Amino acid sequence: MKIVKPQPNNLGPVGWIWAGNYKLERYLYILHRITGLGILLFLVFHLTATTFFRIQGEPVWNAAMSFLSNPLFKAGEYMVAVAFSFHMLNGFRLILQELGFLMGKPVPPIYPYSDALRRKRRWTMAMIGIIIILCLIFFYDLVLGGWQ
Amino acid sequence: MRRYTYLWLMQLITGVLIAVLLGIHMVMQHLDKILPFFGVNLNDPTSWNSMIERSRQGIWAGIYIALLAVVLSHALNGLRNVILELTPSARTQRVVTGSTLGLGIIIFFWASYVPIALLYH
Amino acid sequence: MKEKMEQIKFRVQRYNPEKGDNPHFQEFLVPCSRGITVLDGLIYIKENLDSTLAFRTSCRMAICGSCGMLINNYPHLACHTQIEEFCAKKLTIKPLPNFPIIKDLVVNLVPFFETHKSIKPYILRHDSEEMENPTAEFCQSHEVMESFLQFTYCIKCGICVSACPTSASDKQFHGPQALAQCYRYCADNRDDGEPERFPVVGTDHGVWHCHLAGACSESCPKGVDPALAIQLLKRRLVSRGLGSKGRPKATTAQPPTQSKPKVPYPEFTVQQDK
Repeated sequence: MKIVKPQPNNLGPVGWIWAGNYKLERYLYILHRITGLGILLFLVFHLTATTFFRIQGEPVWNAAMSFLSNPLFKAGEYMVAVAFSFHMLNGFRLILQELGFLMGKPVPPIYPYSDALRRKRRWTMAMIGIIIILCLIFFYDLVLGGWQ
Repeated sequence: MRRYTYLWLMQLITGVLIAVLLGIHMVMQHLDKILPFFGVNLNDPTSWNSMIERSRQGIWAGIYIALLAVVLSHALNGLRNVILELTPSARTQRVVTGSTLGLGIIIFFWASYVPIALLYH
Repeated sequence: MKEKMEQIKFRVQRYNPEKGDNPHFQEFLVPCSRGITVLDGLIYIKENLDSTLAFRTSCRMAICGSCGMLINNYPHLACHTQIEEFCAKKLTIKPLPNFPIIKDLVVNLVPFFETHKSIKPYILRHDSEEMENPTAEFCQSHEVMESFLQFTYCIKCGICVSACPTSASDKQFHGPQALAQCYRYCADNRDDGEPERFPVVGTDHGVWHCHLAGACSESCPKGVDPALAIQLLKRRLVSRGLGSKGRPKATTAQPPTQSKPKVPYPEFTVQQDK
């Protein structure tokens, strides 16, 4: 009998971007990863601007600030503020749930099955509510300053 | 085994510290149009004069250096975890760990030199 | 779809390594009505349309865990899934992801079982005298048993591992099933094996790569909730790492010190002869 080598069948990192039919918590995991990497990318630019441009004196700084007051960059800064508020609040929820505080006790499985994350959905919804409030506050400030 | 537990706990603790320090930074930079309603007046934090003011005060240099330390450790540890999930070989894992550590130390010393040097300008 | 028959199109992924081709799809038309499961449809295909279709099945009642498959891009047990619940005329059936494919819908579960064995899924104690020659049962209260009972219902079907996004990209990750069973044995107060199991799971590629996506608990067909077990395992690892000693282990039950009072014999209800 011929020995066959099984064909590898891993889904791979595509699960970091798209999750098909799965529910809310899996998409929160995807967003947490994307916002984290996005803030890291922003950090690289931010550190170069505040160190290299800062140390070279006022004219370089003002030139850089006028270049960055383009509305496209302002929109980018707003996205960073949104990403930060999502990552922070989801991080708080993950700290509490991964240490077992907001998860409740194991329950003997009786059909229809539910899991701890679904039973404690209200905390997740409260967290999303606070994120939306923070995003609105940042947006209000952006509008009040005349997009400055 | 304990080493990995403490690394994960460090992610949590730096996360909470970032929430406090970066919260102050964000409120100062982004919410300066709303804060006058609460009685706090900041005079346009991104202007050159306001920055000169802040760079003279030791407490702002301290806050910026602390923020830099926790942000670098949290972000580079997270990046290392994401890269390790792709399961490279053992040698690549050591290279990734070493290079994130090295990068973190270099960036920390460079970017904290700036506020300290400006203190004595 | 009521009692009358409807033709449902089954789009099944075929792969025959002996023929040397790549995985491809083949379509079959299967007559279905209310109450027909996906497994019934596959057996119909194998009996009437194409007898070379390979898949695993055994109990047909969701207790053996053999028939896990990806049906319309979501992992289900084929015997436990009604065709009617999809409300579609076409079903796409693929083998479980994150396991190597052997043929058609059959996957290689040997690495899955090896990972399960590596966390030592049995009670470990240090008093070998009591284990070899037991004198009495171990004391375990109802509360302690309830704290891990849910995780004992695992049927090792592999659906949680195929749903987990970390298992998809990290080949050294143990998977939600092994980690949940590790917690089941650590939480059992008859077991004393934490120092042996924690170095296996408390590594970078073990528990700490779980980021609470929750897909494992969502797709588990028996309601075992491995996500809760993994977070409780993290809590246990952190408290051991910070120096807490944990609950004392179960000792054998003491024999009763006094016999129970005798229950009085009931009165006769039928008149007795003297």
